[in-house]
Amino acid sequence: MPDKEKEFQRIQELESINLARPEIRDQVLETKKEVEKDNDIIAEKINKELSKHNIKSFDIVGAIGAGKTAILEKIAEKLSSKYRILVICGDITTRVDADRIEAHNAETIQINTGRECALNAYHIYQIIKNKDLNNYDLIFIENVGNLICPSEFSLGTDKRIVIVSITEGEWVIEKHPMLFKMSDIAVINKIDLIERLGTDVEKMKKDAKQINPDIQVITTSAKTSNNIDKLIEIMM
Amino acid sequence: MRDLKEILEKIENLIAEKDIDMSKIKDLQIDFIKNKLKNQHCINNYIGDFPTFIEPVHLKANVKIGDDVLIGPNVYVGDNCRIGDYGEIINTIIFDNVEIGENFKLENCIIAKESKLTFNNLKAFSCILKGQTDNKENLEKISF
Repeated sequence: MPDKEKEFQRIQELESINLARPEIRDQVLETKKEVEKDNDIIAEKINKELSKHNIKSFDIVGAIGAGKTAILEKIAEKLSSKYRILVICGDITTRVDADRIEAHNAETIQINTGRECALNAYHIYQIIKNKDLNNYDLIFIENVGNLICPSEFSLGTDKRIVIVSITEGEWVIEKHPMLFKMSDIAVINKIDLIERLGTDVEKMKKDAKQINPDIQVITTSAKTSNNIDKLIEIMM
Repeated sequence: MRDLKEILEKIENLIAEKDIDMSKIKDLQIDFIKNKLKNQHCINNYIGDFPTFIEPVHLKANVKIGDDVLIGPNVYVGDNCRIGDYGEIINTIIFDNVEIGENFKLENCIIAKESKLTFNNLKAFSCILKGQTDNKENLEKISF
């Protein structure tokens, strides 16, 4: 057992003893929440579990309205006849996105995070450990629409894909470096609107590369399907 | 829906017996979680401040949920239940009119109807919980 995990178990045992002491209960509750949800340990477990079952996994992040669901609809449409796909959708409430993706023959699970602004590894682990992973080839996790919070929580996926759209303005990447730093692919979506909007896409591409030289940048249009095949190719 | 009701009735009757057939309970609980809750996700009626839900979760009427609670996956909560703050309820069946305190971490559990477990801080895995008590010592806990 890795040292970090042993330490985690030791702290858990201590906590349950300490919780019975009213004078330090509040402090213990706080620590307990922090430790039990230690995101990186759980993310590692998820990654191991998925790799063991030869599942490729992707965490899709991006702002509200960037086109995460629309791109996932296109991906599901193109891949669901070849691969068994599970899409985990994160939203603070409703299952609107899950319903849209499910219409393209992918199985979906909705997580409603309520007041939390991003999915964390603990949420995903609860799903992974209750599913027969032999039934899936690909898992996509559509994170809560947000360019800030998801950077705090790795989900243990093979790749992270950050989606922005040209309607967000050419400064969007420069202003949100954290997510681009820890992503493998940057998708600049809604490229079909370029003539109308005149957004400086070259600046966006340059910013992404400057923040993370290893990131692959691709422009797409979920509406016209432009470059979706190319995106799938670089993802896989 | 009929399926759901039928299996819940079976489990409810079994756990009310004096000598509970644990192997039967285990099979029914697995069947309920794996098969019967599928497509029965229903979280429209709760009272509370936006808890976290992982599908599938089936909440009946008048369920009151505290702050910072995680429910799901695979959870059924009956009518008029009360779930305290900081709870984490996973793979669990809670029958009607149950009340549980703060910081309950339950996984693979069944709580009998009318149970009032009003103490705080309980971690339980694969067991039946029963009782009407504000003292953890008096909790009736049967592992399966």
